[in-house]
Amino acid sequence: MRSPFAYTPRPGPLQSASPGAAVAYLGALTVAAFLYSNPIVLVAAGVALVLAGRLAGAHAAVRAALWMGLTLALLIVAVNALVVSRGETVLLRLGDLPLLSNVITAEALAAGAVLGLRAAVVMVAFAVYSACVDPDRVLRALRPLAGRSALTATLVSRLVPVAAADAARLRDAARLRGPAAAPVGRVPLARRLLAGSLDRAVDVAATLELRGYSLTPSDTPQGGALVGRASVRRSRYDRRFYAVGAVVLAAATAAKLLGADAFAEYPAIEVGATPATLALSAVLVLSGLAPLRRPIPQPPSRRTASNFQSLRWKI
Amino acid sequence: MTARRGKAVAIALLTAALAAAGCGLGPGDGVGEVELTVTRDYGTVPMLSRQLGDVTESDTVMRVLERGTSITTRYGGGFVQSIDGFEGGGGDGRDWFFYVNGLWSPYGAAEYDLRGGEAIWWDYRDWSVGERVAAAVGSWPEPFADGYEGRRHPTAVVCRAPGEVCAEVSRRLREAGASMVGEGDDDAIRVLVGTWPLLAGDRDAELLDKGVRQSGVFAEFAGSVGAPRMRGLDQEGAVARRFGRDAGLVAATRREGAPPAWLVTGTSDSGVAAAVELLDADSLHDRYGVAVEAGEETPLPIR
Repeated sequence: MRSPFAYTPRPGPLQSASPGAAVAYLGALTVAAFLYSNPIVLVAAGVALVLAGRLAGAHAAVRAALWMGLTLALLIVAVNALVVSRGETVLLRLGDLPLLSNVITAEALAAGAVLGLRAAVVMVAFAVYSACVDPDRVLRALRPLAGRSALTATLVSRLVPVAAADAARLRDAARLRGPAAAPVGRVPLARRLLAGSLDRAVDVAATLELRGYSLTPSDTPQGGALVGRASVRRSRYDRRFYAVGAVVLAAATAAKLLGADAFAEYPAIEVGATPATLALSAVLVLSGLAPLRRPIPQPPSRRTASNFQSLRWKI
Repeated sequence: MTARRGKAVAIALLTAALAAAGCGLGPGDGVGEVELTVTRDYGTVPMLSRQLGDVTESDTVMRVLERGTSITTRYGGGFVQSIDGFEGGGGDGRDWFFYVNGLWSPYGAAEYDLRGGEAIWWDYRDWSVGERVAAAVGSWPEPFADGYEGRRHPTAVVCRAPGEVCAEVSRRLREAGASMVGEGDDDAIRVLVGTWPLLAGDRDAELLDKGVRQSGVFAEFAGSVGAPRMRGLDQEGAVARRFGRDAGLVAATRREGAPPAWLVTGTSDSGVAAAVELLDADSLHDRYGVAVEAGEETPLPIR
């Protein structure tokens, strides 16, 4: 079973962009979410990321991240409301309970909602990154900086989904034994997976050795040419994503200085909707359109041409 | 049908248990009035003094303050940042401190539950020396009338002065609402009455010898046993005034974990008698301590 967050090659601008540009773009929106507590700005950043993910074709990743993020947000709201007694508006009295607050306040709920919203936004950002940025290109970009770490990360990013698929296959096989068969516990399944992964690790190590991964670049017949070949290709979309990321960061910083983050959970909820807040929110939402692909004019299709020809024949 | 009935019974039992544990919708029942006082600079500049009558069982010091003033908070709503525009925690070394029934609170304002009848006093002041002024006399008749930290405590007069002086102190305390007990009660708020040489060895009074950072009292005694001298300190702990022969002092202090102790003392018997006359709301309100000499009352610290 394929994870909704797994990278899927698509011909979109975000997938085509170099990893640095994609990280700059998605990172700028994430930084904005960390810089601000104002829920208007957080919602705008979330809308931008959802928009970006959908325009990039990562529908399943965005849907899964929203589901997980909002579930986590609800959990944060519940925990915060149960442990924090601050805030002026008492909604519910809980009596004297150990470790828990004695009241539930509207302000504690709002504070939890802001924390949860930020967590959901960050999860959507990571989901879009995971589904749209080719991990191999990221690792190729990182290889000159940390070769061994890049190799380890490559193996992990490849072998973890393989292990998940193995687990799914084993579970299917166990189910197919019929309803009378004893259920397979998690421990035997994990033991089998571990044994399988060790076998696979030995195979991978042998393959790597055969391909000369233990040699330094100077020992290879190509010398240092490997490093040169591994360099990251630039994309015509890079400039767009770098520019949008820079605009988002600049707008977030400027708006922060202008007081766009006017928000207080305690002692009473106050949400500031200053012109700076609204302007920044608009910039953030618009930045979600960055992965939009410009329609490329198509040459006339064969069918159209034949129709034209048939028309000509008729004439 | 049985399963449905079982579910209904379980819900009814859970509701009853929650109600018994004190659960309920909204802020709950009223518990009476509290007095809210806001001042600056050790009580010398009054900003607000108000009786708030709509206090409920779920109210805290912070909620009551929010109702009476305009505030901002920090550290997730746990600490007061500003009241009516006066910001604490800045570079000038001033911040907001609060006292409930004359005692510095070991909890934050958002965690201090109210039971009704409390005198809450917020003061915006320098904290370089008086960071831990554990007790103040400015909420008279508290803590004698309603106690502190959620329950009433008895009051014991430790008499080291002529009988009629101590009798007058007891009378004033009883009028204030104190329930009087003997000296031996460890739970009692102690009121030490006598000239300074006779009190100096007491476990509470000896805090004054350790300085203002330990005692929280902006006064000190010097000189010989036969001729003690009292000196008033400013907010930086420096000597700002030397009092004469017949000076009196009313101040409060507190050892960690012990009940507070009030000092009604002086450099002579007439100084003590003058200090006894200060035991009323007019002289003590919004004061950390008060010195008296020749009928002239001087709030402490000296400005």
